[in-house]
Amino acid sequence: MNLSLGRRLKIRSMVHMAAEPIPNLWPMRTFIHHNPLHGLEDLPFPEAVAQGEALFHGRGFLKRADYQQWLALGRVDRDSLEASIHATVGEYPALQSIDGNALIHALLTRRRDPVTCQRAFASLDDVAATLAGEAPQAPHGVNVEALADQLRGAFPPERPFYEVLDALFGTRTGETLDELLIKTCLDFFDEGQSAWQMPGREKGLFTAWSRLARRNLRLFLRGLHVHRIVGQADSPEGVIAFILDELGIPEEAWPDLIARELTHLHGWAGFIRWRATTSHYYWAREYPADLVDFLAIRLVLALALVREHASRWRMPGNRTELDTLITERPAECYLRHELFTGVVLPPLAERVEDVVARGRPAEVATLLGRYVPARRRVESERQARALDDLAELAGMPEAFRQLDRDHLGRVLDELAAFEKREGMIWLEAMEAGYRHSLLARLRWEPPAPRAKRPFAQLLFCIDVRSERIRRQLETIGDYQTYGIAGFFGVPVSFIALGKGSEDHLCPVVVTPKNLVLEVSTGAEKLDTDLYSSAEHLLHDLKHSVLSPYFTVEAIGLLFGFDLVGKTIAPRAYNRWRHKIETDKPSTRLLVDKLTREQADSVVRALQRVIIVEAIHKEFGIERESITDAMIRELREAAMENHAGQTQFARDFALSESAESRFIRTLQGDYRINRSYAQMQLERLGRIGFSLEEQTYFVAQALRSIGLTEGFSRFVILTGHGSHSHNNPYESALDCGACGGSHGLVSARVLAHMANKPAVRRRIRQQGIHIPDDAWFLPAFHNTTSDQIQLHDLDLLPASHLVYLERLRNGLHAAKRRCAAERVPTLLPEGAPEPDPIRAARIAERNTVDWAQVRPEWGLARNAGFIIGRRHLTEASDLEGRAFLHSYDYRLDPRGRLLESILTGPLVVAQWINMEHYFSAVDNERYGSGSKVYHNVACRLGVITGNLSDLRTGLPSQTVLQDGWPYHDPVRLLTLVEAPFEHARAAIEGVAKVRSLVVNGWILVMILDPATDRLYRFVEGEWREEALPDAGRDATDESAAEGAPS
Amino acid sequence: MSILLLVLAAFFLPLFPASVVFNRLAAANDHLGVRLALFVLWPQIGVLLILWSDLAVAPGLIAAWALLSALLYAFRMLTVREVGRWSAMLASSAWPLAWLYALQTPGVANLVAFTLALTVAPVLMLLVCAALTTRLEAAYTGLHGGLARDLPRLSGVIVVTTLAAMALPLFPGFFALLAVLGGATLWMAIGILLTWLLWSWAGVRLLEGTVFGPRSGPIAADLTVLAAWGLSLLIGVIVAGGLAWTGGAL
Repeated sequence: MNLSLGRRLKIRSMVHMAAEPIPNLWPMRTFIHHNPLHGLEDLPFPEAVAQGEALFHGRGFLKRADYQQWLALGRVDRDSLEASIHATVGEYPALQSIDGNALIHALLTRRRDPVTCQRAFASLDDVAATLAGEAPQAPHGVNVEALADQLRGAFPPERPFYEVLDALFGTRTGETLDELLIKTCLDFFDEGQSAWQMPGREKGLFTAWSRLARRNLRLFLRGLHVHRIVGQADSPEGVIAFILDELGIPEEAWPDLIARELTHLHGWAGFIRWRATTSHYYWAREYPADLVDFLAIRLVLALALVREHASRWRMPGNRTELDTLITERPAECYLRHELFTGVVLPPLAERVEDVVARGRPAEVATLLGRYVPARRRVESERQARALDDLAELAGMPEAFRQLDRDHLGRVLDELAAFEKREGMIWLEAMEAGYRHSLLARLRWEPPAPRAKRPFAQLLFCIDVRSERIRRQLETIGDYQTYGIAGFFGVPVSFIALGKGSEDHLCPVVVTPKNLVLEVSTGAEKLDTDLYSSAEHLLHDLKHSVLSPYFTVEAIGLLFGFDLVGKTIAPRAYNRWRHKIETDKPSTRLLVDKLTREQADSVVRALQRVIIVEAIHKEFGIERESITDAMIRELREAAMENHAGQTQFARDFALSESAESRFIRTLQGDYRINRSYAQMQLERLGRIGFSLEEQTYFVAQALRSIGLTEGFSRFVILTGHGSHSHNNPYESALDCGACGGSHGLVSARVLAHMANKPAVRRRIRQQGIHIPDDAWFLPAFHNTTSDQIQLHDLDLLPASHLVYLERLRNGLHAAKRRCAAERVPTLLPEGAPEPDPIRAARIAERNTVDWAQVRPEWGLARNAGFIIGRRHLTEASDLEGRAFLHSYDYRLDPRGRLLESILTGPLVVAQWINMEHYFSAVDNERYGSGSKVYHNVACRLGVITGNLSDLRTGLPSQTVLQDGWPYHDPVRLLTLVEAPFEHARAAIEGVAKVRSLVVNGWILVMILDPATDRLYRFVEGEWREEALPDAGRDATDESAAEGAPS
Repeated sequence: MSILLLVLAAFFLPLFPASVVFNRLAAANDHLGVRLALFVLWPQIGVLLILWSDLAVAPGLIAAWALLSALLYAFRMLTVREVGRWSAMLASSAWPLAWLYALQTPGVANLVAFTLALTVAPVLMLLVCAALTTRLEAAYTGLHGGLARDLPRLSGVIVVTTLAAMALPLFPGFFALLAVLGGATLWMAIGILLTWLLWSWAGVRLLEGTVFGPRSGPIAADLTVLAAWGLSLLIGVIVAGGLAWTGGAL
């Protein structure tokens, strides 16, 4: 089948559209927190949750029993819950007529299960009769036609055909199909974990797979004749069209069917979707793949499995045959469906299994005649019992028994409608609880003016984990802290020392233009020492195909020592390992833009080094035998700027042909040619930032947090990250604003810029006067141990060295205090509370303990985002739950800074919040389950066990504690401290943020300091709310003065 | 006469197809007490019959037949989902091994104890079956999974009982299998080990369909603490008894 271009494009666009709801999945090296329902964010939150449930089969709210437990613990606002119940019951007249408030209250707070039950056969009369203590009316006989229609409704054309076989025959083809496809993905997307690579990957996923599958003996022996299907078309689009036609799927059902197929393995699909659109990703460039390939392989395998079952077990092989089966044997199909979908009545399950296995029509008919009435009775009894239980709990035992049939029907309909909305009621009550507690902790009074500049100013990431350490620092000494997105507003594409690929150190919504290169200072020699060589050798032995067999025998004992050391005394063992391991060499970053001449000079220098190596390799001539002039001449010859014999050829008696051969080798093998030099120049052009750019970024960063005066001697730019061992999720604990990487590089980049005299001169012209003695110092905050380590100290002016010890003392003390606050939450219940020293020791141990599944809580329990001046939160313990972005609206009259905070940091925080939310409410579907069963797959993600979908979301150890949510699943409450109109205009000015707010993905409040009023966005409009206490004693006069007109 | 006794014994230490009788009887009785009595007494009748008869008439045929019966029912255990029937299949797979043991001419007490040791797991499984039926209307695996979270005590008992059914170390079945393997020829040993492997496979499938996986099904009450302790004590006594018997007789 050869499809026309138009038809192929149509199928591609169908796949593209069908994949819209599937969120991208990034490799775990740089874990990106994201909303699992990102593709549905244009819908209101409750609708998106419902759609997510249909697509991904994930729960969008906690179970009622979980909410009830939280209510008992006081983490759900009871008043808000009562108010919601009252308001909701008002919408249901039938419930209102029987004291619906009491019933709904009992339903929510005292009953664990839903009160409305699904009824396929039991009528309202049956339920009413059962409630009245009477037997339901005598059965009327079974309507077999209705059963057939019911079955056809259960198998719409958009339902994958193998699912139909599974539902009717218990074949588990879906599982088999997933396994086969996952194996293919593991082979193709491997990024260096396997010793043997899949051949032909450079041709693309579908081509590489189909070449192998055509001669795959295992598939053939299983009866899967893949080659017959793949041979039907010359493109993946053609294969898709052929298969869907073959199965008899009408074309109007294709988009929905494709969406269902893709969401089956949404982890792999999300990764492929991201990969296909990421041009800078090395593996995607080398081994291309997209969702059309993925879908085509899935459908080929699915059809092969269906055909195999159809021929071997006489099952239907397409929709026409299915329809015939249902028409001819509706009773048997119904019983099969009951049995294999797991809804069969338990007491009759065994009998049903026996009868459908034999398939004798008379037996089937007899059993159906027994089964349907039993089902009807069970349904009516179940419904009646649930209603009776609810009435008992509400203290109105007769509430439902007194109702007539119609009234009962309306009540049941209203109860069902209420139970569909129930999740939002609980969620809003939980959110109200957090909102009240947050507002009660904020300090409304205006900041007191400082008498002198602080000893040090520290800029931390907005990350919730910074809140604790900032508070502790401010408590123990003369420190002033600020919150800013962890990339410090400078999007950087970074190539680390010894690495060949770029990492984007900025939120994923931003694409960096400038490249920063890490280079060694040359202070340490880079020669490989014995230890490193041994480590590499060991690594190679472990990962080759045969060597592990004898490696274990030969040197397995060495691993035993390692194992014992890591397990028994991880801290001491790691200290010892550090002593023998090579230190990372000291480095500098290339932050400044190269001029054309500088870039040209770099290229020339590089080419000369290569020519020397080439001469040595090709002719065995040492460097001392050749001159600079010879090298220059050879270079010019390779670049086609020189004609005739070279000095090198003359001196070393090279024939004309040998010389020209060598020049060609230089041009080809060693890439010394014009086009490559031009490419190198273009690449070098991306390195660094111009002076204008540096000035812009420094000024923007300082202004965005309100730091434009009163600079102290030390301005410490604190990037953050996490250190832990044996933890594939380590990067999930790193900085989200740095694209899931450590924030230190961003800190070093901004410090480099801000310490530059030329930049400071330019900034001064913009009204930001940075005194000469102020030094921007990069630092790294390890969030697992809370240690803050200062960097680039060799650049520190001598005048500052005397203050260094005081600074270190302060940071160390804050670390201990922070650990004392944080570590008890990581210890088992009932463990004695450690003092600060012991707590710090435990936290340090967590950074090196390879058996620790929860080195820190990370961003769990995040719930708030505060954009405003520090005085609002300075004296409050926010329990590490709020993102804090410093912002002074007086420096932002046009609202541009606020817009950029909303566009970047707020959106990243919302992704983080939603990732935690959904991972907590349904850890199996939206989270990644327990870490204990995880295995790293392809070096890009984790799978559960040895074969599963790529796991998305967060592991249970990050969001759950003892099986219950540790993270409070609430939507992000954002508080903006700014004049109302100013903040409202900024929110509405950013389309994405406006959409998130209007659709209820983010909750927003505005605190107007000029008027002392608080506004909240509720049900599509801004409403003024009372401040939690009497309000501020004094008006923030400075605010009023500075407010934009 | 001896052959007649052997044929009769084939019903009580069930060999296929005579084993159908035991399985029908087991399926026909829902009453726990009756089932327990059936499971405990039925094979002992077979033991008595074997002791009165002369196995030497066709030892090779008997061994092959017993092994094939054991394998057949072990294989059936993989597909049976009703726990009561599963117990009966386990018994039907385990008891034929008593024929193999009898061919090694052990003492009377040992043969009785051997059969009892292989009866322990099916009997415990009947108790589990009753507990599941009371709570979930039926003891049918795959319908109501993930009991571990909501019913931890019952899940614990199911796991331990299944381990006993797999004849893992410490449980009497393990020592019984060691005893019969000790005197087995190579092909007999292969057959016994294959049977053992199938029990383990079937046990894992049973656990997957009940204890592990996502929770589904109605809310049910867990075992009471007293019942859990009672069952633990019973299992403890069985294990201790098995160990004592092993030390003395094997």
